[in-house]
Amino acid sequence: MYVYDPVDQQLVEQRVAQFTDQTQRFLAGQLTEDDFRTLRLQNGLYIQRHAPMLRIAIPYGLLAARQLRTLAHIARTWDRGYGHFSTRQNLQFNWPKLEDVPTILAELAKVQMHSIQTSGNCIRNTTSDHFAGIAPDELVNPLVWCEIIRQWSTLHPEFAFLPRKFKIAVSGAEEDRAAVGVHDIGLQAVERDGVLGFRVWVGGGLGRTPMVGHLINPFVEWQHLLTYLQAALRVYNMHGRRDNKFKARIKILVKDLTPEAYAQQVDEQWQLTKNGPDTLTQEYVDTIASRFTWPDYDTAAAGEPDPTEMHAAAHPAFARWLRKNVHAHKVAGYAAVTLSLKPTGTPPGDITADQMDAVADLSERYGYGELRVSHEQNLVLADVRRAQLFELWHELRALNMATPNIGLLTNIISCPGGDFCALANAVSIPVAEAIQRRFDDLDYLFEIGELDLNISGCINACGHHHVGHIGILGVDKNGEEWYQVTIGGRQNGAAKPLPDLQSLRGGGAAIGRIIGPSFAREQVPDVVERLVRTYLRLRDSDAERFIDVVDRVGIAPFKEDVYSDPAVAKAAPAQSREVAHA
Amino acid sequence: MPDITAADNAVPHLIRHGRLQANDWRVFAPEADTEPGAQLPADEPGWIVPLPVWSAARDTLRQRRHPVAILLAPATNLQDLVGEDGQVDPTGIAFIAIDFPLYTDGRGYSLAQLLRTRHGWQGELRALGDVMIDTIHYQARVGFDSFLVKQGHDPHQALAAFKTFTVHYQKTYPKPPAPELLAA
Repeated sequence: MYVYDPVDQQLVEQRVAQFTDQTQRFLAGQLTEDDFRTLRLQNGLYIQRHAPMLRIAIPYGLLAARQLRTLAHIARTWDRGYGHFSTRQNLQFNWPKLEDVPTILAELAKVQMHSIQTSGNCIRNTTSDHFAGIAPDELVNPLVWCEIIRQWSTLHPEFAFLPRKFKIAVSGAEEDRAAVGVHDIGLQAVERDGVLGFRVWVGGGLGRTPMVGHLINPFVEWQHLLTYLQAALRVYNMHGRRDNKFKARIKILVKDLTPEAYAQQVDEQWQLTKNGPDTLTQEYVDTIASRFTWPDYDTAAAGEPDPTEMHAAAHPAFARWLRKNVHAHKVAGYAAVTLSLKPTGTPPGDITADQMDAVADLSERYGYGELRVSHEQNLVLADVRRAQLFELWHELRALNMATPNIGLLTNIISCPGGDFCALANAVSIPVAEAIQRRFDDLDYLFEIGELDLNISGCINACGHHHVGHIGILGVDKNGEEWYQVTIGGRQNGAAKPLPDLQSLRGGGAAIGRIIGPSFAREQVPDVVERLVRTYLRLRDSDAERFIDVVDRVGIAPFKEDVYSDPAVAKAAPAQSREVAHA
Repeated sequence: MPDITAADNAVPHLIRHGRLQANDWRVFAPEADTEPGAQLPADEPGWIVPLPVWSAARDTLRQRRHPVAILLAPATNLQDLVGEDGQVDPTGIAFIAIDFPLYTDGRGYSLAQLLRTRHGWQGELRALGDVMIDTIHYQARVGFDSFLVKQGHDPHQALAAFKTFTVHYQKTYPKPPAPELLAA
């Protein structure tokens, strides 16, 4: 866990004082609505459908037990007893009152938390691998690099008013679990001749114009990371479009200039500061690393008897959970455990205050009080002794957090949708629930295997539908809710370039393709079921995943099956059948 | 709600060298349809000319008894201002002003940084336009040293905003100056 030094603490407290003053001036009529809007957004405060929404930063998804307890306290005191984990490793409260927000921020500051730059056209919370620091395939621990970027980007005087929001993701492992290909900047740690550096992907992003990032520099040596980022941001700040908010993301600039020309401009800016005072030193990196507390792993854990397999043989339900929710750890004798926030019937990513407290306790009893928030909207207990997995499973079952669906179809990523969000065209949560209900047979779910299903309630794509193996997007047609379905999206791991998808690929990510006309809400579970049945028919073995089959055969067979399926047609409300099949 | 856009000219709105003072500079607006430089302000104190005017008549303007200031729009290409050596020749320039038509347009921050760190501008750099209590701290850090605070924003509070943060992460961007607070 990163522990604040006095400077970090002072800065967060001064930010609370500043925002308190801004809120008071607004409430006293000394700050206009227009002037206040951007200021509050830069502190994560939206005005939503029912009430303001406050987004709290969980930098790179690293969360301590005492912080989670504070979040529980805030949920009970100023909200409605629950919170929502977003797809960017942050936590959102949907019901705070504007006048309470300064008090909430002061509470957060006491546990080294804040909501700085969780919204607005600035550099947002840097995200990372949810197994950062514990993954066996890690080349470098990205947490340290994320913290270096966090500090650099926090209240950056030159880049506080960018053309549009700006998201940076860092991966330090062989497998990219941070989705670096779909961020404004994605950094992938690599080694060259024994020296650490970063591959720099720029211009990826979802939203209404989804694109996969371009590799603009295959190797930036670690010392130059911040000067390179500064140059990349400066070119964007100066030249990104400001006349049209839908064309203001860096991806449009990179596309308009061409990645080569953009890279060239970045390089010109970089030469001004490269090797200058912002060059990182080993001493500085070590200082940041030394402010983290790292778990004091017990070397005896490697040798202790592990009854896990024995329990698994006797308890099929435990065996399932073990297969899906327990992950390898870099330290022998330990495991990482995903707590599913996706049981059927609960909005994906939602967690109650009581669950927060219970999880905080568990993280201390089964680990070192450290958690990770995943961008798939689940929680990870970072350091569980394998010998205690069975016991932990029992406790998690009692909390309804042991649904064995990580990586499976019902582990749905979803935005809050039209039930909460003022931007949404359609609801997401009830659609997620209907799909979960359709796939409630665990044997069938396991038979289907790995499948990412993502839902966004509007084109802003907060539910990352473009990179779901199956993506569902709520659209508005003449005031009615419709759902567009894409397949073939992925957040990483593209195995081979495919001729028909090449233009959409990069960084291992791919953007899904629309299968055809939209569907009515009632049809969506049937559509998903039809897609799955087609996959099961076409796969050459159960090792070939849904996404692999889409890659191999394209979208045509899926499309044909869905639009000729009588069950899908029948599920359409009478008045809309014509539209759905137009 | 009180009318916060009402002129509050009784209090000076210009912050310069950490003090409040009256602003006696105004922007020269040539008549429409005139070529840049065809029309120039009289040689008297207090004129700020847009960069196109300066570019068209810089040799004349540098000779004036009363130097002009130059106004840069957010979209300015600084190559139009600097000489062949990449530096700004300060001769005959009272100060450089950067316009913020909207405070959310952050291009002026990079322009200021580049003037300070790349193009050798050591003279006065003024923020004009949508300059708020809430932006002045950032603006001071990218190199502005004078600020015309917009109407509706209390200039005393703006002065105090230099101290909003006493700690910063970006070490190559300077800290704002300590304000010499005038007795209110």
